[in-house]
Amino acid sequence: MTPALSISHLRKVYKSGTVAVDDLSLDIAPGDFFGFLGPNGAGKSTTIHCVTGIATITSGTVEVFGIDAVKNYREARRHIGLSPQEFNVDTFASCVQILDWMGGYFGMGRAERKQRADMLIEKFDLTAHAKKQFRELSGGLKRRVVLARALIHDPSLLILDEPTAGVDVELRRDLWRYLQELNAEGKTILLTSHYLEEVERLCRTIAVVARGRVAQIGPKHDFFTEPGGLEQAYLRASGAAPELIAAGDH
Amino acid sequence: MVINWIGLNTIIRREMSRLMRVPIQAFVAPWISALLFIFIFGSVVGGRISQIGGHRYLEFVLPGIVMLNVVNAAFLQSTSQVYFARFLHYVEETLVSPLSYAEMIIGVLVPVVVRSVVTALGILAIAALFGASSVRGIGEFIFWIVGVSIVFGLLGNIIGLWAKNFEQLTIFNVFLIAPLSFVGGVFNTVDMLPGWLHWMAWANPFFYFINGLRHSMIGFTEAPEALGIGVTFALAAIMFAIVLRLYSTGYGLRE
Repeated sequence: MTPALSISHLRKVYKSGTVAVDDLSLDIAPGDFFGFLGPNGAGKSTTIHCVTGIATITSGTVEVFGIDAVKNYREARRHIGLSPQEFNVDTFASCVQILDWMGGYFGMGRAERKQRADMLIEKFDLTAHAKKQFRELSGGLKRRVVLARALIHDPSLLILDEPTAGVDVELRRDLWRYLQELNAEGKTILLTSHYLEEVERLCRTIAVVARGRVAQIGPKHDFFTEPGGLEQAYLRASGAAPELIAAGDH
Repeated sequence: MVINWIGLNTIIRREMSRLMRVPIQAFVAPWISALLFIFIFGSVVGGRISQIGGHRYLEFVLPGIVMLNVVNAAFLQSTSQVYFARFLHYVEETLVSPLSYAEMIIGVLVPVVVRSVVTALGILAIAALFGASSVRGIGEFIFWIVGVSIVFGLLGNIIGLWAKNFEQLTIFNVFLIAPLSFVGGVFNTVDMLPGWLHWMAWANPFFYFINGLRHSMIGFTEAPEALGIGVTFALAAIMFAIVLRLYSTGYGLRE
């Protein structure tokens, strides 16, 4: 079966010489809920940026449903919805404009854009804020807008880079429920998060990245069979200091 | 390659929406500036200067005033669009979308042309109040306004990609565009310059832009029309090739 996302020997070196991603390879099966973990600076966001076209690739290949994400980038991007870690929005635009424009970039007609935007605005409880400028919204509302934007073109592969960072418990739970619904409908989801509880609850496959490489990858239960569960497995795989790992055991 | 017309139209709609957020800065400011130029050269200085090529001095300088503002409008619109999209990171919205580089570039250029044309028409309307608004060749007039705004829209795109801060955005305007446009024949003919400066006028592309527009408005010219048209096409083609290359390599856009 063609993977939803296939990354092979990906390497990304910034102009400064910093090696952000170093020979990273992984496959994500269609329909999977994939947790992408790692400490800050491990290369998670850079990998996502390489997949989505925000960053150029130094070497290696990325395929989205078998489509080369560099050579045939336009076709590959039609399948991806991205909710980035940092807000990358025209802050003077309204929620409605942000969704409408994103749908437009993806070639959706006016009626289709309006229908999807209305549905997502209602789904993410943004109706009362739909005409407000993005900069006027609270952090949680901004996060909802960015998530709705990622879904406007009904992508098959949803990439969520720390989608619940800075949001309240209620929204987090709502979001978990919605992501599970989307996954049940067949959407492939790649999720990065620093909340292990979130990954534990949602994901079926987990990869831990450290220093730009995949340190451990496998089904979720593999991580729980290790002593100390996911947290200890994460600390060990990410190369945390031994005393930190030991401290977690007590 | 299939053109993403809706995507292209969306970039244009977005940028037009941004443009309409600042109508005073975009349109009223250049019109007031042009009004002051027209008043000074029409009523104050113009009356004391004899005719040039059979035309009143205001009629002679008006094409230059229009061109100065078209160049400014095009350059500022383009640099602002590209730089702000980078500065606020919403350029990433287009980078993750199925848009070609040509669509992204044309999406920047259309609002540039709209702003330039509206600016030029507003100045013509103001000049009409002083009895100095004539256009002899409408097609030629449109060519010069649209052609020059495309050239400076593309130059602004390059600067918008290159600039690392707001100050760098203004460097080209202050040190290159403003001086070259002022010495490009806005206020004088080449003959009025000292002989040793003639070569500078001939080497200055602004001279051809102003001369071409002047010909379309009052029929006065100091250079062959074909040469000016050729310079404009060549500059637009070179700039487009550079911008396309920058987009395809991700310069200033991608990490």
